[in-house]
Amino acid sequence: MKRFVLAASIAVAALSVHAGAFAQSKGPVVGVSWSNFQEERWKTDEAAIKAAIEKGGGTYLSADAQSSPAKQLTDVESLIARGAKAIIVLAQDAQAIRPAVEKAVNEGIAVVGYDRLIEIPQAFYLTFDNVEVGRMMAREIQKAKPQGNYVFIKGSSADPNANFLYQGSIEILKPAIDGGKIKNVGEAFTDQWLPANAQRNMEQILTRNQNKVDAVIAANDGTAGGAIAALDAQGMAGSVPVSGQDADRAALNRVALGTQTVTIWKDARELGRNAAEIALKLAGGAKLNEIPKSVSWDQGPSKQKMTALFLTPVPVTKENLNVVIDAGWAPKAAVCQGVAAGKVKACD
Amino acid sequence: MSIAEATDIAATHPGQGTPLIEMRDISIAFGGIKAVDGASVDLMPGEVVGLLGHNGAGKSTLIKILSGAYKADAGTIRVDGEEATIASPRDAKRHGIETIYQTLALADNVDAAANIFLGRELLTGWGTLDDATMESETRKVMGRLNPHFRRFKEPVKALSGGQRQSVAIARAIYFNARVLIMDEPTAALGPAETKQVAELILQLKKQGIGIFLISHDLHDVFDLADRVTVMKNGKVVGTARTADVTQDEVLGMIISGKCPPAAVAGPGALRS
Amino acid sequence: MTEAAPAPANPVQEARGLADRLREIEFDPRMIGMVAALAVIWLGFNWLSDGAFLTPRNLWNLWVQTASIAIMACGMVLVIVTRNIDLSVGSMLGFVGMVVGLVQVRVLPEIWGFEHPLTWLVSLLLAMALGGLVGLLQGALIAYLAIPSFIVTLGGLLVWRGAAWWVTQGQTIAPMDSRFRPLGGGVEGAIGTNASWAIGVGLCAAICIGAALIRRRRKRFGFVLRPLWAEIAIAGLGCAAVLAMVMVANAYMLPAGVARRLVEAKGGTWPEGGLMVGHGLAVPVLMALGVGGVITFLANRLRFGRYVFAIGGNPEAAQLSGVRTRKVLMLVFGLMGVLVGISACISTARLNAATNAAGTLDELYVIAAAVIGGTSLAGGVGTIAGAMLGALVMQSLQSGMVLIGVDAPLQNIVVGIVLVLAVWLDGFYRKRLS
Repeated sequence: MKRFVLAASIAVAALSVHAGAFAQSKGPVVGVSWSNFQEERWKTDEAAIKAAIEKGGGTYLSADAQSSPAKQLTDVESLIARGAKAIIVLAQDAQAIRPAVEKAVNEGIAVVGYDRLIEIPQAFYLTFDNVEVGRMMAREIQKAKPQGNYVFIKGSSADPNANFLYQGSIEILKPAIDGGKIKNVGEAFTDQWLPANAQRNMEQILTRNQNKVDAVIAANDGTAGGAIAALDAQGMAGSVPVSGQDADRAALNRVALGTQTVTIWKDARELGRNAAEIALKLAGGAKLNEIPKSVSWDQGPSKQKMTALFLTPVPVTKENLNVVIDAGWAPKAAVCQGVAAGKVKACD
Repeated sequence: MSIAEATDIAATHPGQGTPLIEMRDISIAFGGIKAVDGASVDLMPGEVVGLLGHNGAGKSTLIKILSGAYKADAGTIRVDGEEATIASPRDAKRHGIETIYQTLALADNVDAAANIFLGRELLTGWGTLDDATMESETRKVMGRLNPHFRRFKEPVKALSGGQRQSVAIARAIYFNARVLIMDEPTAALGPAETKQVAELILQLKKQGIGIFLISHDLHDVFDLADRVTVMKNGKVVGTARTADVTQDEVLGMIISGKCPPAAVAGPGALRS
Repeated sequence: MTEAAPAPANPVQEARGLADRLREIEFDPRMIGMVAALAVIWLGFNWLSDGAFLTPRNLWNLWVQTASIAIMACGMVLVIVTRNIDLSVGSMLGFVGMVVGLVQVRVLPEIWGFEHPLTWLVSLLLAMALGGLVGLLQGALIAYLAIPSFIVTLGGLLVWRGAAWWVTQGQTIAPMDSRFRPLGGGVEGAIGTNASWAIGVGLCAAICIGAALIRRRRKRFGFVLRPLWAEIAIAGLGCAAVLAMVMVANAYMLPAGVARRLVEAKGGTWPEGGLMVGHGLAVPVLMALGVGGVITFLANRLRFGRYVFAIGGNPEAAQLSGVRTRKVLMLVFGLMGVLVGISACISTARLNAATNAAGTLDELYVIAAAVIGGTSLAGGVGTIAGAMLGALVMQSLQSGMVLIGVDAPLQNIVVGIVLVLAVWLDGFYRKRLS
């Protein structure tokens, strides 16, 4: 309950800060429209964006759509009304957000599509390379188990990223699959990305294959946790390599304990910092293609010619766990809980 | 108690003891509308009092105050001459006041025994429901009321109107009621069943139970009741012994509020 | 016989149909229908999966997968019987699960270190208490402030999901205490073959003794008795079901590596040719059966249950009969909360992690299980056993479809259609019977 009260007061405080910002607004105002704050990671992104904007002399404004595409439309409009010169949009629904983004673009306001694709050529697209994440997972798992029966625990069928990930993994594994070294013995979408669903799917796939499973490509750390719980019930956890992404604390701990092979770390602070810097540059009048390292990209569903910047994620394994600890992403105590001394270098 | 009220009772019950129930100056309003306005009625042991009036005259509301379903805004209730607080159906039952509602108030999805013992279940030594004893008792009491009744295991919604009525009556009489309130007890019944209810009322009366009989139909009540109290627009028109008045005179009370000389006029009587 | 023969002494003995006969032996024909539907589903999947469905392993998994929803469905039956609904159970499960995870992994270790022998018990009791409190709070709003349960629990659905996030700002908590994990099943959560036989035989004896006691009591009061053959058949079926379950659970062998580890941990030696060690019944399944038994007892044998059903049949009548309807209503929601607490422990232990998304959409599966199991949304009608069977039917569909490789979107379509179909059939059947 105490946390609740605390949370409520933080929320109220945050609101009043926003009101204050609206009153002053000296430098360029950058608005951020969030899809929802229900997930652990967006708070980290927000802190990074805010810090970078304020460092660049700008003012930070934000709105949370609470998972509602309709609310996000009005959120973007209100950010424009509140004087934003550039808007960073984490789209809840890539299609539903289009009218609001088009309106902003027409009014000469710069738009950065954050992490999720908004397929309008005048908007900038910033994300981690999700196909690359899929490739990285496959590379690490293949390194651990060059041949055998592979299982693919995919993400939610409603999320395009789930397919990008799968594409990336298959791209790497294709030669081995064609050569008969690797066999796809089961794949399933994970409804809602829920770990419990991933666990049930993994149990059924294990049943179907009489436990003859050698490696698991799981789409993120949550589904990896479910798959590992299913493997554990068969005494197979630790002997079957499992991938994941997000580098959440439970997953980092599993990597340290050896039940998960790799988690792909997409440093949200990098993403946030880049978004803020790009937004400030665009608000200052820069053209989309003047952003450093930006590329032209047309692999989206409707093949629009976009200007995009893809950040490279970092695969975290037992060998380089110190990367996340040193960066302050996760405390050593949480990562190394229950790890026997001398087993993992980063924990000693 | 005022002198006028004292003489009321003296006039209607010459030479009798303490009334079982006295309701004095009872008022209740729903959303500003006075459903019952300063009504007074009483009931002696072994007496049947008919409460008459049109629909909406306030008789059912008055009786629901006695049964604990509503709480009066003003007025007092005495049981055996002692002031009683009746704030809930439990209080009423504690005073031995049982009610057979016009709607019967049965839980349709459970069987006869569960309805009869609802709120007063018999328990075993373990604290669990003693269904066997309850069923056995139900068979006994239903056997008295409705000897052909066999459907003890079925939810009461499967029963006929008369059978449901029997269950509701059984629930009221099983727990040794001293006062019985019957709200339109024969409204849903055929002639044969109506006659059965009339016989039951006479039998209960003999046992010294006081009965309030509520009806909008004068004929049902007139033959059974010792006295009638007529209500109109929430007020008591008057009270009369059935021996002293004719049916036409009572009809006049119900329709126009005119009180015949043999009746004791109440606050609702038409002033001429 | 002349025409003047007296009327039959016992008018009950007339010609009658099958429905009446079944009613006479007090066997619910709808239950038979559900079991038949389940049999069809199982046989169908077994055929489609080339015999992989009806294996000890798959059935064992299926029961474990069903446990959490089945436990909550027991409470949901009572809620729906009182003409209410609880939409918040999934979110509550997420919230309680997060708090339990936090207490177990971050708070208790501060007090008595990791892996304390009482950690699991404290966690379970805490979950039940917290769930109960949340349930009572919602129940009080519904019963005493007369806010519709749909609204209160819809609010709860949002509030508790949000609260689940706030507990750790969305972080997943893992791993769980090793003595807590058996609550979720898995290798550690299997009680072994001997204990399973003991429980099976014990249950069997309880069924037979119970039936005999009830029969003796009815005889003493001179009531109509079921025919002896029906009595024996029903008890026999119950026994057979229990023992079959034990046999299946015992036939599911531990993976060799795990069995070896267990044997060696007990100081035994691993024989040359290996050793077959059965799982036995799973802890969460036993918990679900226990909860089912307790709630059935509560519903059928205690005043509380009688009042719950009376309120569902006619709330006004219950109140006029002197039942404290508001208190009963509040307690029903409190009980629902306690059961959510138990389910929260099972799903957290099973996943070996507390996640803030745990229990998402569970409210719908729980309600669907109750409704498929014959609980009427109009109130007043429902059985605990039916709801648990309903949960098993739904889980069979979902797991079976994964087994034969049907993907998530199509699974949802099938489950949705089955739900609607089941309710329509039930209503159709009821109309024909009355």
